[in-house]
Amino acid sequence: MGRATAIALIAVGVVLTATAMVLPWYSTAYAGGVEVVVRAWGTEILNKPGDWPAGELSPWYGVPVVVTAVLLVVGVWVSRAALAGAAGQLGAVAVIGALVVSERGHAVEQQGDFAVGFGLVFLAVGTLVALAGAVAVQREAA
Amino acid sequence: MRKIAGLVLLGLAAAAAVAATFLPFSELLIRLAPGQPQTAYVTTGWSTRFGGTTDEHGPLFGIPIVVAAAVVLAGMRWRKVAFAGAAALAGVTGMLFVYLLNAISFHEEGNIAIDPALEAGFGNGIWVLISAVVLAFGAVVVHPDD
Repeated sequence: MGRATAIALIAVGVVLTATAMVLPWYSTAYAGGVEVVVRAWGTEILNKPGDWPAGELSPWYGVPVVVTAVLLVVGVWVSRAALAGAAGQLGAVAVIGALVVSERGHAVEQQGDFAVGFGLVFLAVGTLVALAGAVAVQREAA
Repeated sequence: MRKIAGLVLLGLAAAAAVAATFLPFSELLIRLAPGQPQTAYVTTGWSTRFGGTTDEHGPLFGIPIVVAAAVVLAGMRWRKVAFAGAAALAGVTGMLFVYLLNAISFHEEGNIAIDPALEAGFGNGIWVLISAVVLAFGAVVVHPDD
């Protein structure tokens, strides 16, 4: 694999990651049309009932992902940054993986309908593609 | 000397990361009724507990942390692997921090009416984990492969 291909893989990874930032990551639908949709920039609750708990569980998961995506872009010029971005993003996505398994378990327990969104799929694929590109860039640099 | 320092730092970083998974990442201490003792809501890398009840589906943050720690350990042989492990550990820590920050705020806002004197905040686990990340990058700097 040449350097051009490696850079192209990183670019594809960044584009997929950027797309994931605007798509739903996962959601759970409950009885009465209530749906909790988790995105990179917060959690949206559709048809929120009146007795919904106070407080907002709405983390900005997009923040660490944006940092790793910026590192990936810098990696076009500084090969070590690409490795940091790809490995960091893989770690960040693994935490989301742990949350998805947990949320799916809660949804099943409460007879909700859990679904993984395209955002999470794009993020996972983008991370793996970028990692392949970052590893290839390291080999080219060696 | 530099070789020993690098290996020791990598070992310490991995050990600290794994140890962090057994410590509280976040804690909520709340009195559910006046005069009652405080009940603790504690999240670690392997469980989420509220008093004596364990959430069967609590997120297992310990898994990505242990995997990243294993990569850091594998970096004893190759500097780039150590660097990738340190970066992965930083990524895990960053995302976990974002999650915990919001969860703590959620616990405060959601329960302040029940107990205005509740205590909610980060546990020692997150600080040990951040220290592990610093140690791991420090080990990369003095890695003998360099």
